[in-house]
Amino acid sequence: MSSIRDTNLAYLILAQQMVRQDRATAIYRLGISVELADLIDTLSPAQIVRLASSNLMLVRLRFDETIAGLLSNLSKDRSLIQAHASILFAAQSCEPMAPLNDMSS
Amino acid sequence: MTVRTVSGDAQQILLASELIRLGARLQLLESETTLSRERLLKLYKELRGVSPPKGMLPFSTDWFISWQPNIHASVFLGIYRYLLNHARLSGIDAVTKAYQLYLEQMPPEPSEQPVLSLTRAWTLIRFFDNRMLSMQRCDICHGQFISHAFQPRCGTRCGLCHPPARAGKRKRLDKTIEVDYSVSSGSNW
Repeated sequence: MSSIRDTNLAYLILAQQMVRQDRATAIYRLGISVELADLIDTLSPAQIVRLASSNLMLVRLRFDETIAGLLSNLSKDRSLIQAHASILFAAQSCEPMAPLNDMSS
Repeated sequence: MTVRTVSGDAQQILLASELIRLGARLQLLESETTLSRERLLKLYKELRGVSPPKGMLPFSTDWFISWQPNIHASVFLGIYRYLLNHARLSGIDAVTKAYQLYLEQMPPEPSEQPVLSLTRAWTLIRFFDNRMLSMQRCDICHGQFISHAFQPRCGTRCGLCHPPARAGKRKRLDKTIEVDYSVSSGSNW
């Protein structure tokens, strides 16, 4: 549990640092929306700690089993896998997490 | 005509220097900055120490279709479109930022030029905006890859899911040469 909290905190601190350094690059690297980047930028340290102190992971994986299968293929050249990963990630949209009431539709 | 200010001029010079540093050719600089040709020439010589290459820009869309260039160009265009759609960037800012990220994703081998030059990347966006090239989704990995415009869609497979038989041979050849060299020079690893 505490390692989940630590990971959340580390992620939020890193994300805020990246957003403040170079917003556009951070949006690409983290795969987040502008709105979320703006929000992360304005979080105070106390808010970050509050947000991170959850027993649940705050971040989701950016790949599904197809992509993971393609990218973990050991027989392929590393630079090709890197290229493939970046093409696949760029094709994804940075979808926000669906609120609960949307799940039924 | 736009009013020229000193600070505006400074910005343009910074932009031009950044573009030159990334490998832009004169035609790109002329079209993306408001500086005169003479000043751009001078700036280029100051930064690079040589005159800019002369002649026309590469103008073939076919280059982007062959295997290795297609992968590199698809990486770049993917990043560029991502920045346009999600990061509210536009124009030359999006091009330079996307190109920097592309170089980071696909770093060239030491002492080698990147496969996709900035000028090519810029031409690619113009081809794309003018509908000479488009993007198609690979049926297997669902990634977006560059293809000729108006190509019929049936069973598209990208060059990464189905590499052609001879793909990547060049690199392997280079490696064998390296090994031979290290043996003949008698160096201990």
